[in-house]
Amino acid sequence: MGAFELNTTISNLRSLQESDLSAYDAVYLGNIYCRIFEDNFLERMNDLKEGIARVKDQGLRAYVTSYAGPRNDALPKVEMALETAAAAAADAVEVHNLGVLRLIHEQYPGMPVHIGGFANVYTDAGTAVLKEFGAVRFTPNYEISLDEVRAITAAVGIPAELLVHGKMPLGVSDYCFLLEYESHWPEKCPVVCQKQLFLRQGDWAMRSVGKGVLSGKDVCMLEHLPTLLAAGHKAFRIETAYETPEYRLGIARIYRTALERALAGDGTVDESVWQMIREHTAVGLCNGFYFGRTGGEYIGSRAETTAAC
Amino acid sequence: MIELLAPAGNLEMLKVAVENGANAIYVGARGWSRRRDAYELADEQLHEAIGIAHSGGAKLRVAINTNMQSCELPALLEKMEKFVNWGVDGAIMTDVGAIAQVHRRFPDLVIHASIGANIVNNEDVKFYRSIGVSQVVADTKLTLRELAARKADVDVGIEILIHANNCYTYLGKCWMSPYHRLERTRDDFGKDLFRGSPNRGGLDYRVCLEQWELFENSVLLEPHIALKNNAFFYLDDIPALIDLGVHCLKIQGREYPVPLVGRIVRFYRELVDSYLAEPAERFDLTPWRLRLEAIREERDSKRSNMTLVLLNEARQPVPHPV
Repeated sequence: MGAFELNTTISNLRSLQESDLSAYDAVYLGNIYCRIFEDNFLERMNDLKEGIARVKDQGLRAYVTSYAGPRNDALPKVEMALETAAAAAADAVEVHNLGVLRLIHEQYPGMPVHIGGFANVYTDAGTAVLKEFGAVRFTPNYEISLDEVRAITAAVGIPAELLVHGKMPLGVSDYCFLLEYESHWPEKCPVVCQKQLFLRQGDWAMRSVGKGVLSGKDVCMLEHLPTLLAAGHKAFRIETAYETPEYRLGIARIYRTALERALAGDGTVDESVWQMIREHTAVGLCNGFYFGRTGGEYIGSRAETTAAC
Repeated sequence: MIELLAPAGNLEMLKVAVENGANAIYVGARGWSRRRDAYELADEQLHEAIGIAHSGGAKLRVAINTNMQSCELPALLEKMEKFVNWGVDGAIMTDVGAIAQVHRRFPDLVIHASIGANIVNNEDVKFYRSIGVSQVVADTKLTLRELAARKADVDVGIEILIHANNCYTYLGKCWMSPYHRLERTRDDFGKDLFRGSPNRGGLDYRVCLEQWELFENSVLLEPHIALKNNAFFYLDDIPALIDLGVHCLKIQGREYPVPLVGRIVRFYRELVDSYLAEPAERFDLTPWRLRLEAIREERDSKRSNMTLVLLNEARQPVPHPV
């Protein structure tokens, strides 16, 4: 890894083909929420193989993610995806389920594993256990603060990957409530969850992707990047699994520029950049739980972003 | 013999659960379990609870199943040492690091992987087994088919929730509540209570039960969305669960009134005993359905009232953010 890594998530080959990835260093392939998401890489091994090759051909690292809550009947497919990842020389596999971590440790002991945000990393002792099972990087549970993340990296010695922009996962289900309503709408499964759907009540809002619930606001750590770099963090994720190619590219360009400037000693962000962020933001911005506060709050100079959850 | 495990949010509830036939009781260590502190026990109460349970012939388990902070782990181990010395029969836990450390320090203590560990497949069970867990609480979406496969595949004690709530999301993998409100408060012993985060030991504001509207961008698509969150009361499946050899039937409800918990425990005690006493092919569930309906009505009413209070609290400003 260079001075930093900026990565994102792409669920299928169509989305990969439509995306300009020039601002990224790495891509996670696959949709973690739903097995029947449109042409999910994790269900289509030829697509996954092609996706890994396409990402690597662009000089980027190719990671393969895995399901957030795989029940027994999903495990054979998970094993096929692992086999494909190994055969196509994916650079790492992301794991949200500890049973899958154990499978990899047993069947592919040398495979680098990134622990995902649904694996519930809260403590240094827990991370140490996962390291024994082959973890080389972890996304902390979204509920923990930067201070807690620092305590883990210092104690365990593996790096954290931080969600710096995008909608933060808030929950995962085995059930898609959209299926109850899709007969009312022109779009059906498996594409209806890709619409910009929000659950709202008063000033509360959450993004719904069927089996997943995401924050309504976009996590935005743009003005805090110098702090993250100073703390030694290098791996940053822009969560775009359910975003447009324009969002994927636009936000990544902003963060790449800001990270390069911050590394050069300039931690400022131009006002025009905030305007661009606003254009890509439906509800508002927040910092998640990084500062030990309510997840929907925003701490920093952009106080006008805190209107709703 | 299958075990009936009952909740106790206070010592009175504990006594009533024992009197009504629970084989084991679980209580939360104050600040360290997945309920608000009002339904948890201080250490000295927990000491007393162990004595009450044991003198009634029941086991006492302590739920210490928050996802704590790294810096809180030494305090957890200190607490566990006390509980073990007092004779606690098991610990219900979630964090894999805490589990591994407790198992190393107290290798004879029975560790139960909590519902918050969200164990959804057999490989998960094997993972937890490898770090010292000997019993697992099955996730609320486990089917009988999956249960049978698990029994066949893994040597582990299986606990089934028979009277609980089935959240829309997987338990332990949801932080909708603290996304909307998180209040950081410390108790008298310095434990951060994370009010608003059930995973971290605070209360759950149940924001999923809000009356949501569904929008596509700013266009209203559906005016009434209910994210499924159903109470469930296993009845028809209990004979099958017993026949499959599950180790434990677990009742949730530390926050309910003591008499209601007493009635629930009595109901399931009599149901299990009746089934075990009678040949399976002659067992008739009809009278049990009627009895359960009365319990369900009371329980649903209490829960609905509690949900309104919590949703209201979720909209209050956080008074003293840290």
